[in-house]
Amino acid sequence: MPSDAGRSVIVRFCRPAVIVGVLSLAAVIGVYWYMALRPGTNPALVPSPPAILKALRDEIATGDLLVNTVASLKRVVIGFCIGASLALVLGALAGWFRYAGYVLNPIIDALRPIPALAYIPLVIVWVGIGEPSRIIIIVLAVFKPCVVNARAGMNEVAQIYVDAARTLGASRWRVFATVALPSAVPYFIAGLRTGVSTGFLALVAAELIAAPSGLGFMIQNAGQYFRTDVTIVGIIVIGLLGALLDQVASRAGRALTSWSDVRREP
Amino acid sequence: MNARADSVRAVSAKLAVRGLTHRYSMGTPPTELTVLSRIDLEIARGEFVCIIGESGCGKSTLLRMMAGLLMPSEGEVLHDGTRVRGVRHELGFVFQQDAVFPWLTVEKNVAYGPKSRGVPKAERERLVAHWCEAVGLTAFRKAFPKQLSGGMRKRVDLARAYANSPDVLLMDEPFAALDVQTKAEMQDAVLDLWKSTGKTVVFVTHDLDEAVFLSDVVVVLSSRPGRVHAIVRSTLARPRNGETRVGDAFAVAKRTLWTTLQQARGRAVAPAKARQAPPTTTERA
Repeated sequence: MPSDAGRSVIVRFCRPAVIVGVLSLAAVIGVYWYMALRPGTNPALVPSPPAILKALRDEIATGDLLVNTVASLKRVVIGFCIGASLALVLGALAGWFRYAGYVLNPIIDALRPIPALAYIPLVIVWVGIGEPSRIIIIVLAVFKPCVVNARAGMNEVAQIYVDAARTLGASRWRVFATVALPSAVPYFIAGLRTGVSTGFLALVAAELIAAPSGLGFMIQNAGQYFRTDVTIVGIIVIGLLGALLDQVASRAGRALTSWSDVRREP
Repeated sequence: MNARADSVRAVSAKLAVRGLTHRYSMGTPPTELTVLSRIDLEIARGEFVCIIGESGCGKSTLLRMMAGLLMPSEGEVLHDGTRVRGVRHELGFVFQQDAVFPWLTVEKNVAYGPKSRGVPKAERERLVAHWCEAVGLTAFRKAFPKQLSGGMRKRVDLARAYANSPDVLLMDEPFAALDVQTKAEMQDAVLDLWKSTGKTVVFVTHDLDEAVFLSDVVVVLSSRPGRVHAIVRSTLARPRNGETRVGDAFAVAKRTLWTTLQQARGRAVAPAKARQAPPTTTERA
């Protein structure tokens, strides 16, 4: 946030939003801690926060956490790149060129109400339980919000810019490339951000199906051995990673739409 | 019809409108509405022509047809004797709304037209430098439109239109959204551009002061359907400046135009004073 640039760290972290936010989070952890320490609670099923921290240290020390995080990240990045680029190309064409819309809109609208996870059984039957099937699930999950947003963005291009470009001598193709696409970028970004989070959701589900590695595998595996502490570590890392990916997408989006004076908060 | 016959007919006019009628259907059941009816106009090379009329008289529609953005139901628009069948870069357009591309910097906005036409980079660079200078935006070449005021964005719009080497400039109430002070500055800027380039300008406005201040000729349209009610030729001296705005001749010219506009609206006026007005001639179309 540029307005904070000149302020000291102390001032920045003493804002009510930060203080109350931290307290609120601390209260949740406190309640959990109290429950974990109550007599009669099995520490193997409800590990205390220090036990969770220890599990985290162990997972880092053995390298398991890193291996699993990298495996998950790789899948989500590959799936995201394929799903998002496919969605942006098809969505942009469907939203701009009339006949492309006639061809693509029924397909997009038919796919729209189906959750990506519903394809899991089909994908397993068709592709098996290897790496490709996990990536296909992520691609499907990323594709849907991206294509819907991309198409909406192209539908909302202001006529005034199109007219202006035409009177300046721009060809149809140039209007598409230099007017429609850039003016729809805020929509593309919104789609990509949603895509990142839905892709990440699908990742965990995809890894629950017989994956040899990954964060989804890690929590599933730990659950089967009653290693609740490891499961909780995995859940926390998934949360942090998801937030991180969203931040990356959000910052990239803001950099690309710095020309826009519309506020694009989530 | 062939281009040769057109050029013979319209040899003297830079832009000619012949028998132009425009209708469109609206509502359910569809009723046909005639927006413009049998418009005939001849605009000479280098003239500054204003078109005024009540709101809804079709003056913007007429201008969009001159630009080739809309096709008339009947009749035609001729540019240098050839029929306008679609947009062409020779017919530059300045819109009422903010039409500057917000995702491009000032200089890239100005370079947009030349780039669309495949003008080489060095020549584009020269055009951008020249037209940014002409509208006083050289210091803001790298700025994005959101960093500029409304008046400055209009300057970008003007520079962008002129940088595309148009032959005729069509302006659709370009300054309607600006405050009085900025508007006056922009009118001065537009007259400077007109004087330095000698290019024909057709300027739609509903502001009488603006029409009187800018024009050689004012076309007064009547309403529903829009018809040419009168063509008023200005005799105000040029160059025009701040003095012009407060002079007696200006007040008389405005009074004449106002009277004509009232007649165009079909309202009764006391014509005696206006008809005597010496420095302005009114010819009924």
